[in-house]
Amino acid sequence: MPDPAITIRNLTKVYPIPFKRERVVAVHDLSLTVEPGQVYGLLGPNGSGKSTTMKVLLGLVPASSGSTQIFGRDSTLVESREEVGYLPENPYFYKYLTGEETLRFYGKLCGLSGQPLRDRARDLLKLVGLENAADRRLGGYSKGMLQRIGMAQALVQEPRLLVLDEPTAGVDPAGSREIRDLILEFKSRGITVLLCSHLLGQVQEICDRVGILHKGRLVREGELDSLISIENQTQLIFENASPDLLARFEAEAAACGARLVEKSKPQTTLERFFLEVTK
Amino acid sequence: MQPRHKFFSPARVGAIAGNTLLELVRLKVFYFLLVFALVLIGCSCFMAFVRSEMQFQVLKDVSLGAMSLFTWLLAVLATAMLLPKDIEDRTLYTILAKPVPRFEYLLGKLLGVFALLAISLAVMSAMFVAVLYVKEQMVIATSIQQFKITDPAQIAAVVREVKADTFTWSLVPGVLAIYFKAAILAALTLLISTFASSWIFTIVVSVAAYLIGHLVPIAREYWLADGGSWVAKAFLGLIALMFPDLQLFNLSDDILAGNAITTGLFLQTTGLGFLYITVYGCLAYLLFAKKEL
Amino acid sequence: MKRIAAALVLLLVFGAVKLPVEKSISDAHHAAYFHGARLDLSLREQIGQGAFLAALGGFRGVIADILSIQTVTAWQYTQWSRIHLLCNQITTLQPRVTFFWEMAANYMAQDAAAAALQDPKQPSQTLRVKASRDFIRSGRDFLERGIRNNPDRAVLYDRLGALLMDKAQDHYGAYLAFTKASEFPDSYGYQRRFAAYELSRCPGKEAQAYALLLKLYREGKPERTPTLLQRLKAMEEKLAIPPEQRVYNRGGTPP
Repeated sequence: MPDPAITIRNLTKVYPIPFKRERVVAVHDLSLTVEPGQVYGLLGPNGSGKSTTMKVLLGLVPASSGSTQIFGRDSTLVESREEVGYLPENPYFYKYLTGEETLRFYGKLCGLSGQPLRDRARDLLKLVGLENAADRRLGGYSKGMLQRIGMAQALVQEPRLLVLDEPTAGVDPAGSREIRDLILEFKSRGITVLLCSHLLGQVQEICDRVGILHKGRLVREGELDSLISIENQTQLIFENASPDLLARFEAEAAACGARLVEKSKPQTTLERFFLEVTK
Repeated sequence: MQPRHKFFSPARVGAIAGNTLLELVRLKVFYFLLVFALVLIGCSCFMAFVRSEMQFQVLKDVSLGAMSLFTWLLAVLATAMLLPKDIEDRTLYTILAKPVPRFEYLLGKLLGVFALLAISLAVMSAMFVAVLYVKEQMVIATSIQQFKITDPAQIAAVVREVKADTFTWSLVPGVLAIYFKAAILAALTLLISTFASSWIFTIVVSVAAYLIGHLVPIAREYWLADGGSWVAKAFLGLIALMFPDLQLFNLSDDILAGNAITTGLFLQTTGLGFLYITVYGCLAYLLFAKKEL
Repeated sequence: MKRIAAALVLLLVFGAVKLPVEKSISDAHHAAYFHGARLDLSLREQIGQGAFLAALGGFRGVIADILSIQTVTAWQYTQWSRIHLLCNQITTLQPRVTFFWEMAANYMAQDAAAAALQDPKQPSQTLRVKASRDFIRSGRDFLERGIRNNPDRAVLYDRLGALLMDKAQDHYGAYLAFTKASEFPDSYGYQRRFAAYELSRCPGKEAQAYALLLKLYREGKPERTPTLLQRLKAMEEKLAIPPEQRVYNRGGTPP
């Protein structure tokens, strides 16, 4: 049985306020698991603890209690980050570096060098559609291009897990779609993705599982389809049928010769569900 | 494809150091300060004195003074911006999200600053030596012409006398001491920046530490002497303990006055410099290791 | 906060470790004539806070140079008190630059002393002479202080000898100064001769002077300058050396 990509057990993160007796509980007793190959959406309003959870997972911030693991390794160990690629929210990179130099810099940090590194950089630039901008300084890149180079640097060491924080924030619809397609491409390659986003429509399109944080607690978590299905309703779709037949459908359908097109649970939108749960 | 993770990787440190150097070289303030230093060195050539010996003295004093000022200012300003800029731009997150230990990150940043200081000091030294050489040749030619000297032995004596006042290899330890002082300040500034709330605070405290560092011998002398108020002694004792003795690295004034430092004493002094840098670097890591980013 | 507190404690512990090392290196520096400048509050009051901080910060040379430029202006306006003050500051900042001690001594013992003798504002000859002698004394002080700061350099002994010989008429002092100057490896030949000349002018020292002059004479032609022969003759006459033992009359090698 392979190790889960991410295992978070009873994670709590408390920020003390200097010179005051109060404290802020950013994350409270959070437990969740992300299986390999999944695209997991971590959702929540501003200040719900999403970024803190990501930062604890990546070792940028120490946990107050609890544990976090990446593919079975304690995520506080530096080695565990060999498996992880991270794209922070609205990242800047070094503006004076070109696209290729940026990837080579991050590649060196991952232990790559020489010709393999140069080849890897070129392949990634092609993957994210920036091969024509490889020699241009990042200072001249658009927002969408910066996000894509950010994706590329996250992939430089061929990680098995990608952590993306608002990957389409501030990106135009076309760029946003490209990034969405990239994530689906990663998924098809078996890369696990942990995604934070406020764009619920996009999350609904690409995520397998979601977890919703509210005031530091995990209030809902599970398969996307089952979360947004409305349990006590049944949806019937008829072709050429009048409303009078609905009540007698199941018994009368075959005898009356009406064609039952679909019978399924009607779905609300993720957005409505999210708002209902977090009010 | 992935290489095995190493606890310490010179390649990672080198990548961060190289990138830091590149980043700092692009700071416009570097060019401004360099021009400032070059203008100072150039201006000192135009000071007219009756005695040529005084001209060389002034040229050397002003040049080394400018080099010292520029180098330590650069050390403080360049280092103070490193961490805050990376945190603000979130580039720190992308770096530390890679398998890069925090101590390597700090070490790489510091080495980048050291490289910048070495390059800028080397450029200024080259300018200084060139200007000194040109002035030396001018004075030799003027002296020979003025006194109508034709005897080769006398010409050689004039050349010897003039050269004694210009470049001597004893100046090299003075320049190296300037470098070490700046490097110590860079390490101290890095330490302060690991807990400072803003880069302005870092700069102000670092400049204060620079000034206080020059008062350490006075503080130490007073603290170790008999008598005196216990409050003053306690305060000065704290100064002597907490701050580096930067006066030990002010060698150029006395070297220019004709003192030469022995190799053994110079190595002791630089050894102390290495100790300061190592300790401040370790303390910076202590504070940065668990810093909430 | 805990980590900051721990770092502070470690800094203090390191301080306790580094203190004796710093003191040892500092003492070694002082023994090698480094950091000899006494930068204290009285200097701060004289040169101002900015200049004092600059001096502390390693710019003593530059500040001293700036002050020495000011002496030129003061000299042009014959402001001898100001020159004296400036020279005190300059030599305090750069005690190891012998040129500054020489400069100070020249200003006082040569220029100021000469100006005092000619001072049109002072009608009394006696007071003019007294003022001149005070300036000569001041020049001598500078050289003696310079020697205390630079006991390893010949040049200031030489200048002191010249001052005492020409201005102060202190022949025995000049003899001692020239003798000391001649003991350095890079000394000039004339210093030994000048020492002997000055000793020969000291009453009661004729025998000692004669021995010195004779020793120099025996070294051969380069030392047998006209002045040496003249002083040798004077000593032979004062000491009533028998004619057959005299050097001067015989013109040859003495017995």
